[in-house]
Amino acid sequence: MTIKKSKKQDAQSGNWKKLAPKSSRRPASKAALRKRLLGASKFLVLFFLLGVVGCVVWFFQERSQEDSGPLDITGTGAPISKLMFVTDGVLHKRWFENWFGPLRGRTLMDLDIKEIQTELKQESQISFVRVSRQFPATLKIEIKERMPILRLCLRSKTKGEQTWLVSTDGSLYLGTCYSNASLVHLPFLNIQPELLRLSSNGEGYEKLGGISAVAPLLEIARRDYPGFYQNWQVVSYERPHDDDPGAHIHIKSGKVRNLRFAPQHFATQLRRLKYLLMESDFRRTPVVESIDLSHDRSVFAKLSP
Amino acid sequence: MSKIIGAVEIGTSKAKALIGEVAENGVLNVVGMASRPNEGMRKGEIVDFRKAAAAVHSALEDAEKMSGTTVDEVYLAQTGSHLKGNMLRGSASVASSDNRVDVSDLQRAAEEAKRRKPDEGRTYVHHIRTPILLDGRIVQDPVGMFGSKVDLGYWSIDGDDHAIKQALHVISNYSLEVKDLILSSIASSTMMAGPDLRRAGTLVIDMGAGVTDFALYRQGFVACTGVIPVGGDHVTGDLSMGLRVLEPYAEKLKIEHGKAIADPIDEGEDIWIIGNKTIGDRSIPRKAITDVIHVRIAELFEIMSKELEGLLDPDELKGGILLTGGGSLLPGVEQIATKILGFTARRASFPSGIDPELAQPENATVLGLLHYGLEDHGLPGRIKEEVETGFLGKFRKMVGLGAQV
Repeated sequence: MTIKKSKKQDAQSGNWKKLAPKSSRRPASKAALRKRLLGASKFLVLFFLLGVVGCVVWFFQERSQEDSGPLDITGTGAPISKLMFVTDGVLHKRWFENWFGPLRGRTLMDLDIKEIQTELKQESQISFVRVSRQFPATLKIEIKERMPILRLCLRSKTKGEQTWLVSTDGSLYLGTCYSNASLVHLPFLNIQPELLRLSSNGEGYEKLGGISAVAPLLEIARRDYPGFYQNWQVVSYERPHDDDPGAHIHIKSGKVRNLRFAPQHFATQLRRLKYLLMESDFRRTPVVESIDLSHDRSVFAKLSP
Repeated sequence: MSKIIGAVEIGTSKAKALIGEVAENGVLNVVGMASRPNEGMRKGEIVDFRKAAAAVHSALEDAEKMSGTTVDEVYLAQTGSHLKGNMLRGSASVASSDNRVDVSDLQRAAEEAKRRKPDEGRTYVHHIRTPILLDGRIVQDPVGMFGSKVDLGYWSIDGDDHAIKQALHVISNYSLEVKDLILSSIASSTMMAGPDLRRAGTLVIDMGAGVTDFALYRQGFVACTGVIPVGGDHVTGDLSMGLRVLEPYAEKLKIEHGKAIADPIDEGEDIWIIGNKTIGDRSIPRKAITDVIHVRIAELFEIMSKELEGLLDPDELKGGILLTGGGSLLPGVEQIATKILGFTARRASFPSGIDPELAQPENATVLGLLHYGLEDHGLPGRIKEEVETGFLGKFRKMVGLGAQV
């Protein structure tokens, strides 16, 4: 309960409080002056702080009303005028433009080059990619492509027959931009179905493990013995590892129907094959049934009956 | 949260300011104290406002600096020969049908007692409640008891408006408010005479520089107070005139060699006035100093004896006489008081727990102000008001928020 005394009551009771001065006079001492200045400065500081807080609140309120979206820190850039596309394979600038979409009117800072790089790398034909800006208006794309060494025909219920390309590291991909002439000489790969495994996204296949052992043979043959190589039609392999005594690579070709190589010392084996085919018996024979070069110094050959 | 309170005594020789911190458990700690010589007072009244204000303000500033805090309001001691005490009595019939006493009955009796106006140009300074009578019997707290009539009285002290205004102006000029005016004698009695002594009956005499205050207690309540315009400064003046020495030397002689009663061992002893025996210095007999002091001190107690004539009943004054204030330090003053007033007088001692530096007789009033201010002197059953202090309290008061009492 609060009791408020009126001035009238105070006056009636002769209360000394009615004698208290209503307003302070001029300070009568230096100490009183200092006290008043200190008190006034406290209030000034308080009002100043309140003012500062008010200004800060007002400023942020104004800013929040003006804010119409994400802050633009890119500035006004010139639209991309040039696309530099550098590759060691068959892909070209137009392929990129189709793949990416129109660049017209977009500036370098509009593009998320990291995202472009990541998405390009997901293309199975591409093994390395670097995307960079060259100011003021050039976008540079540098890529390295996988080199196909074999073809693989696969038939599925949904997509029908598809020809996949096999690169030197065993990757399988559906090649783009290759000319028929460049692929027609590639031998086919014959592989046991259980060695093919679908990739995690279900759109492709995982790398084939033994191809890295087969690739040098094909490379040497293509480079040094193109006469043999262009006749090679189907390549297959079984356990093509160096430490496996039963490992071998089997090739079906035109003149020699069955060729068998050990998975090492390809140059020696090919040289031996060359000398063998230069023998008069072999030269006269149009078709050789088989030549087995996988047994070190011994070569087993079987002429057609 | 602890609370900061202040007390100011505008004494004739010194202005004193005290700042206390009241802890949550009610314990009072003195955190700042300062005193400054005051040349603006004569006989307990302000004669030079600027000098008095400068002394009080400096003391307050020093005390605030010492405590590291500031105060917003203070208890102010009042003294001076302009103060007069009167007993005001009021009564009220118990209003309830079952004759149970209510707080409102006490309030009506209190209003009745305080109805009497002081003379023109005078204002009540302090109302000190006397025992409450319920149907003629003294009771501590009649609220809830059965009875038909409540009587209570106030020992009310009124003072000259001008003198009170001057004192209030000194404080308000330092941007402070006065929380309450407290009679100096009541403040020093609160400090020096405990509840037991007050119940037994005691006379507390505060011998200041300009005036001597006294308060007579009976059965724990104030029966009479008074201010006699005689103090230590008069003794100094007498010495100055009687021995024909300058006042500073007279003050020095009083403090260093003064006695209120002759001592046989002082016979034949001479005292050098300045003390360095240079040209102009001369010696005077110590007995002459004692004689001058004795006359004035004896006169003081004789005046007091006349003022208290009829009130000094041996059955009501079992606690004897307590002397305090700077004048009580004069050797032999107790003997004169005992001889003239007829009751055993002794120098009052401070209760335990007070810093020895503070526990000096001249500080009794200012220390007592804080203690008196902390006590509840309202009517029984009435809720004690809580006033918000500090910056927030001031701000709320300024914008009109919070409870007003």
